[in-house]
Amino acid sequence: MKAKFFKLLLPAFAIIMAVGMAFATEEANSTQTGYYDHPILGVQAIPTDCPETGQVLCMEGQWQVFKDPALTIPLYERFE
Amino acid sequence: MVSKKIYRTLVPTASLLLVLLFVYTATSKLLDLDTFKWRLAQMPHLSAHADLLQWGVPFSELTITGLLLSPKFRTLGLYASFALLGLFTIYIIAVLASDHPTPCSCGGIISTLGWREHILFNGAFMLMALGAILQSRRQTK
Repeated sequence: MKAKFFKLLLPAFAIIMAVGMAFATEEANSTQTGYYDHPILGVQAIPTDCPETGQVLCMEGQWQVFKDPALTIPLYERFE
Repeated sequence: MVSKKIYRTLVPTASLLLVLLFVYTATSKLLDLDTFKWRLAQMPHLSAHADLLQWGVPFSELTITGLLLSPKFRTLGLYASFALLGLFTIYIIAVLASDHPTPCSCGGIISTLGWREHILFNGAFMLMALGAILQSRRQTK
């Protein structure tokens, strides 16, 4: 019984727990939406990992990326 | 006798923790494959291979999980774990050494770690895998 627990149940439990944790933290892992002002297309939404704090402005090509469609909250590059 | 006791706990424990890690990170990547691919495309030196890595990385992690769960191939799984974690760690160090912004393509809550903390995290698991490999080899001799 003890051998069965360690060989089968414990690994199964570990896998179930890992999969459950992956689903539980799915939102934390997803990107946020950033916005930039394209001169022709207007305000465009893009996925971004840029945080709200930092020193170097987050850029999409040559355009600065913001957190909101109103382009008031700048985002920054993630340097570590 | 003591060595046998250590083997009985260290190798299965290390294997189980590695299974937990790889299943978690692989599932996190597979749940949002588009995001993972997008992040790979932002990473220096990896963007050209984003299509391949998008599937290759989680597939490798799940394959290693399978090896670790099988008593017959567990040692091979430990070697593969050590190698894969080593590759990840070397890449992180290379990115840190460059002056490139660093979006994280890590799985799940590991994304919340800074890159330096991520190196320590990987290092700890590598040490654990290495210890289990050494103990496994000692036991088979």
